Parts: sequence; structure tokens; C-alpha cells
Amino acid sequence: MKCGNGIEARQVDELCINIDPIQAGGRLTADAMKAVVAYGDGYSVCDNCRKPNRLDYISKPPIAEFHKDVAAWLNMDAVRTVPGARRGFQAVAQTYVNKGDPVLLTSLSHYTEFLAVEEAGGIAREIPANDQKLVTPDAAAAKIEEVKREFGRAPVLAFIDHVDYQFGNMHDVAGIAKVAHQYDIPVAYNGAYTVGILPVDGKAMGVDFVVGSGHKSMAAPAPSGILAATAERGKEVFRTTAIVGDVTQRKFGIKEPEMMGCTLMGATLVGMMASFPHVKERVKHFDRELANHKIVMDALLSIKGTACLSEYPRKHTMTRINTIESFDKVAETHKKRGYYLSSALEERGITGVIPGATKVWKFNTYGTTTKQAEHLARSFVEIAKENGLSVTE
Amino acid sequence: MTFQAIYTLTDLRVLLRETAPSHDLDPGQKAQAQRLLENLERQVGSLKQEMLK
Repeated sequence: MKCGNGIEARQVDELCINIDPIQAGGRLTADAMKAVVAYGDGYSVCDNCRKPNRLDYISKPPIAEFHKDVAAWLNMDAVRTVPGARRGFQAVAQTYVNKGDPVLLTSLSHYTEFLAVEEAGGIAREIPANDQKLVTPDAAAAKIEEVKREFGRAPVLAFIDHVDYQFGNMHDVAGIAKVAHQYDIPVAYNGAYTVGILPVDGKAMGVDFVVGSGHKSMAAPAPSGILAATAERGKEVFRTTAIVGDVTQRKFGIKEPEMMGCTLMGATLVGMMASFPHVKERVKHFDRELANHKIVMDALLSIKGTACLSEYPRKHTMTRINTIESFDKVAETHKKRGYYLSSALEERGITGVIPGATKVWKFNTYGTTTKQAEHLARSFVEIAKENGLSVTE
Repeated sequence: MTFQAIYTLTDLRVLLRETAPSHDLDPGQKAQAQRLLENLERQVGSLKQEMLK
């Protein structure tokens, strides 16, 4: 069925269990789907925009209230919606980084943090992860000292991922922020895999900014996200425009340069807003998600030769797995080569594993029901057995 | 009325997601599906009345 010229209606999540590592937390709630239908037209949220004419002041639909609620939920002072977490990184980098400034990242940082630093003219310096693929406060302190020796000054900003995209490991952001603040370095918390997935308390972690991804973890359409700040930092990153046109003498009210004025003006915003009550509720039950993830992990690890590359026991539902000594051994002689695994999964109504991947791959069970987790577990074991791999009962 | 019908279909869509890939509905889900489908029939009936009168 088509929903436009050459555009096939997407039914991936209706037909299959989708364990794509980046898609799991962004699946829309029913309310978000309904909101998207009603607010699909371009500037749909602007019907009742009144002075001072800025998105976060609109009260119908309750956008202003949503901003306040999100700030309170994250225990931060100010929030803006942004077109994806990356635009949050960009706003922060543009505010604090000048040409030649060192900026602290980690060896597991997302590429968009690097691009934000690059665009601002900064120089990336990475805190290395340890052998357990964890970034520690001690390593942060050592790197800051190294940067001071190299540049004669401390980094001007730090981007720290709470849960990284490579392993889904959880890093000690509070400890790292404490170290960074000893050097007066503002800390931007990358919560792309946490905000909307598990409880996040910005003040408790002592961070200056919290960045979240709507489409990755808040059951919202893409591109959407949030940038939250403390009161002190909010004045800096959310400063208002001061520019004046020389011919017209025009000024632009309380528009914010880092936000480029208004940000999400339609379906993306109301989608995120409609999901928000459900998102607030679901983060309280992350233990259930971990329990379902464990069902799948136990099954995978029962297949001889399979290893978990992420920290274990798991603290997140996105995991990197090594099947070089299990599923990849089968691929060496299978007529479908590496594609047999995704093909066998597809036959069982499972999608999201990169076709052809049998060596190292990631998956995310977030949002699956227990019944679906059991189906996943059973399927991996069945595929292993059918292909002659040993399974520990 | 249009939205009501679309929203009922949306609730059915979510039910399909929750039960993928087998779509074996438990008794509670069957009851929910039945209620939604009956609502949809009523809503379509009202649309016919309104638009084709």
C-alpha cells in the first residue's frame, strides 16, 4: 500500500518485533500518532501564537506548559525544544567554543558532538574509555590536566554521554561533572539514550545542560529533542537577539539566536508533547525493560561462543554483542553467507539487525512486551540449534 | 467524526504493534479489538449519514 507517489506505507513495527538499536525508544505512542495526524500541516501550532511571538510562550496547544513540565521533570531550570539532540549540542558549542578552544569529549562520544565542536572552531580532546569501555572521573581529570599542559588552559566545555551509542554502557556523569567543575568547565549531558528511557535528574548529576532526543528516546517524530539548562547557563545559551537592521532599524523581540527563533513548529512538537505523559510514566518502569532485555541476553549468551561486549549485567536495553565464534561460524559455509541470520530472524517476524551482520552487532529490546522478549529469545536459540551451534540448556 | 475513526484505527494499529509478529490476541486484547472495531463501524456509519445525506 502506498501513501504517496512511490512511498510505501511503513508497517515495520506492525508486522515485526523491531530491535533496531536506534529505533526502539522513538516508536510513537498512540497519542503521538493521533497528534501527528491532527497537526501535520506546516505551522500548525502557530494558530494561537500571540505576543511576544515565541514558540515556548504558546499556551494553546499547551506548549508553554510543556516546556515548564519538561524542565521540572529533568530537574533543570529552562528547556527549549530542538530539532534533534544534535541541534542541542550545536547551540551549546556555539555559545561557549571559539576558534582553537579545546573541548572535552570521550572516546565513545557520538559523532554529532564532534561536528558541533568542529563547526564552532573547537579542537576535540577525548577522555579515553578504560578496558571495560567505561569513562571514569579519574580519566577525565587526567585528560583535563593533559589538555592544560597542551593548551595552557582547561577545556572550555565538556560533552559527556550518560549511555554511549557504541556499547550502551552507563558512565559516571556525576563524578565526571564534579571533576570538570573543579576546572570551571560547563558540562553538557548527552541523554540521547536516557532522557525518556530512564529517570534523569540534571541537578543531582550536577550538569549544566541536559540534551535529549525526541526521536531516539521520547517516543516522538524526527527531528525532535530537548535542550535543558540551569538558570545560570540558560541565560547564556538562551540569550535573546540584539541585532538591528541598519536600513529598517528592525529588531527581533525575544527570539533566541541559538534556537534560530522558533524550533519545532508542528507535528514534531505535538508528537513529543502527546507522548510526554506516557514517557514520564514509562521511565519509572525501566526495571521491566531490563527484565525483558535479560530474557533475550540469557538466550543469546546460552549460545556457545557468543559474548556480550557491553558492560554486564546490563544497565541499558541497547547492547553490543559478539557472535564471531557462534553465528559468524555458520556464515562461513552457509549458502546465504552472513545474510542467513537476518533472513532467519525475518522468517520469525524479527527485524532491526543489520542484514549480513554476524560478527559484532547491536540490538535494543526497549518497548517489547515480555511475550515478545520470549519470542526473541526462543528465535535466537532456534536459529542457533538449526545451524548446528551448541546451546547451554 | 473523521478524527474519531482515524483515532480508533490508530488504537488498532498500536494493538497490532504490541502483538507482533504473531498477532495472537489474549482475551483482554480480543475484547479491546472488538470494542474498537464496533466503535469504528459506528463512526463510519455516522460519517456515511453526514456526508452522503
